[in-house]
Amino acid sequence: MDIQRLKPHLPWITLVVLVAIVGFTDPGFLRPSNLLGLAGDIVPLFIMALGLTFAIYIGGIDLSAQSMANMVTVIASVYLASMGAWVAVFCVAAGFLLGMLSGYVTTRLFVPSFISTLAIGGVAFSIAQWLSGQRALNMDAVQRNETFGWMIGRTWGVPHELLIAAVLVAICLFIERRTTLGRALKAVGAGELAAAASGLNVARYKILAFAISGALAAIAGLLFAVKLSGGAPTIANGFLLPAIVAVLVGGTPLTGGVGGVVNTVVGTLIVAVIRASMLYFEIDATRQQMVFGIVLIVAIALTIDRAKLRTVK
Amino acid sequence: MTRRLSRETLIKWAPLLVLLALVIFFTALNPTFFSLRNFARIAIASAPALMVAVGVTFIIVMGSIDLSMEGTISLTAVAFAFIFAQFGGSLGGMGWIAIPLVLVLGGAIGLLNGIVHVKLRIPSFMASLAMGFVGTGAAILLTGGDIVKVSDAAFRGLLTVRWLGFPLMVYIAAFFLFVAWFIQTHTTLGRNFYAVGGGEDLAHASGLNVTRVRVTGFALAGVFYAIAAILVVARIGQAESVTGSNFMFVSITSVVVGGVALWGGIGGVWNALVGVLIVGVIDNGMVVIGLPDFVQDGVLGLLVIVAVVLSTDRKMVSFVK
Repeated sequence: MDIQRLKPHLPWITLVVLVAIVGFTDPGFLRPSNLLGLAGDIVPLFIMALGLTFAIYIGGIDLSAQSMANMVTVIASVYLASMGAWVAVFCVAAGFLLGMLSGYVTTRLFVPSFISTLAIGGVAFSIAQWLSGQRALNMDAVQRNETFGWMIGRTWGVPHELLIAAVLVAICLFIERRTTLGRALKAVGAGELAAAASGLNVARYKILAFAISGALAAIAGLLFAVKLSGGAPTIANGFLLPAIVAVLVGGTPLTGGVGGVVNTVVGTLIVAVIRASMLYFEIDATRQQMVFGIVLIVAIALTIDRAKLRTVK
Repeated sequence: MTRRLSRETLIKWAPLLVLLALVIFFTALNPTFFSLRNFARIAIASAPALMVAVGVTFIIVMGSIDLSMEGTISLTAVAFAFIFAQFGGSLGGMGWIAIPLVLVLGGAIGLLNGIVHVKLRIPSFMASLAMGFVGTGAAILLTGGDIVKVSDAAFRGLLTVRWLGFPLMVYIAAFFLFVAWFIQTHTTLGRNFYAVGGGEDLAHASGLNVTRVRVTGFALAGVFYAIAAILVVARIGQAESVTGSNFMFVSITSVVVGGVALWGGIGGVWNALVGVLIVGVIDNGMVVIGLPDFVQDGVLGLLVIVAVVLSTDRKMVSFVK
């Protein structure tokens, strides 16, 4: 089967073809400054997608990522004044703990992950509304620049967001390729029952995967809050769909086990190019959601491993 | 054996007991909770949610899940507002045509959901989530982000005309609850939902066309979402692309809290009713006793987890994703 051999290469072929099409019709698109700007803008989304990769890699899903990012924008805006740079640690810890909670509920209480993360997302949303008093908040501009200004500047034309993304990719790649945790996650994704039968503490690794997803969603929220210099309980709404799309078009299937961090990098770039091309071809921003919804269905249909699903529920 | 029996009995009656306990609790804290006026308020808020919950109950009984309700409701609500205006904008004139048209539209969206799920073999939660995004996108496209008003007095009568203290829309919701109950208990389709939910392989082996049952289930759910959309428009007098927002969380919470097992085959429309009332009473009760309304999402989230945990027989499940 040729198509089967081609399948792992489809994501980057798609990316190259898309870039070629857009670059051909709009030469300005390929200017380095334009490409860098485009990549810089997509970084918060990318970080969220990076986290989701771990949840999807083990065959689960994290629908709380968006609420988590929302909550963190609020936490960051509220506590920046009193905690200074430590607020970043606090935010990431909050994301990590709530993610752990999702993982605990999923593995120990046998609640399917799409329900448990939806429920934890509801909790995060409540916290965000409570802390913000249901208003949009602003950070103190001077303090933001002093504490987190380094996150959003440019050095030699390279947006700093890209450097943050590169560091996170390196860390995640290290986890995926060079640690026992990465191996274990692959085993769980490839076949949970077999992993459990070979003596792996599946529950612990799954909880960790959800915790990583939560922590990265929190970092995405933090960066987003710094970029916008403020936060609100619904400010990051609209992130979840493209983030899931990024993971899936990158080639990590909903059934888990294959794909990974590098795939999500490619997937996010595909999402970025689709977005940019929609602007260029003057497709209304209001149609984006429809387009991404359809892309999502196509991506799942192409990538999902049907051999793993005995019955499709 | 006795343990299993008592467990099942408990699960069967626990939601109703929780509902009663909540009513007593809120009444104790604030006696005005227990009044016809307040019950009418709960009923009005719950009527559209009930229709959504009943629709998704059929799907959950089959062991699938439908997360498309937000998009479907937004799209059908907007479509209703437009078609209603197109046909004269009054229920007394030709405007009533919008109602059957929108029900058909809801059914068609559900049908598409089912086909994407079954034919492309995509797990239903993801297929329907994606379709929901498409639905919301289509609603944004139709309205361009604007609000469409529906101010026809006859149509708003669903909210304003009261009968024994409750507005007409509550009776309409009750009527369709009975229709759903009839489908569930007195039709082959209803039995087939349980057959698929109880054991898909067995149902298939006994010659049931599982694919068709699933697709029909999604279409039926779509019709109920459309009814919910019409009730929402009647309640707030307008339609926009965010009309359906928050219905996913509330309806799934309701159904699960009401005692419909996520694994399929257990529970039914009465569970959906009890679940919706639990959620409605909590929402309303928190306001009545003076708690801020934003606590609800968190409380409901925790409630869902507790409900799923209670309704899951741990010995039957080896692992979950």
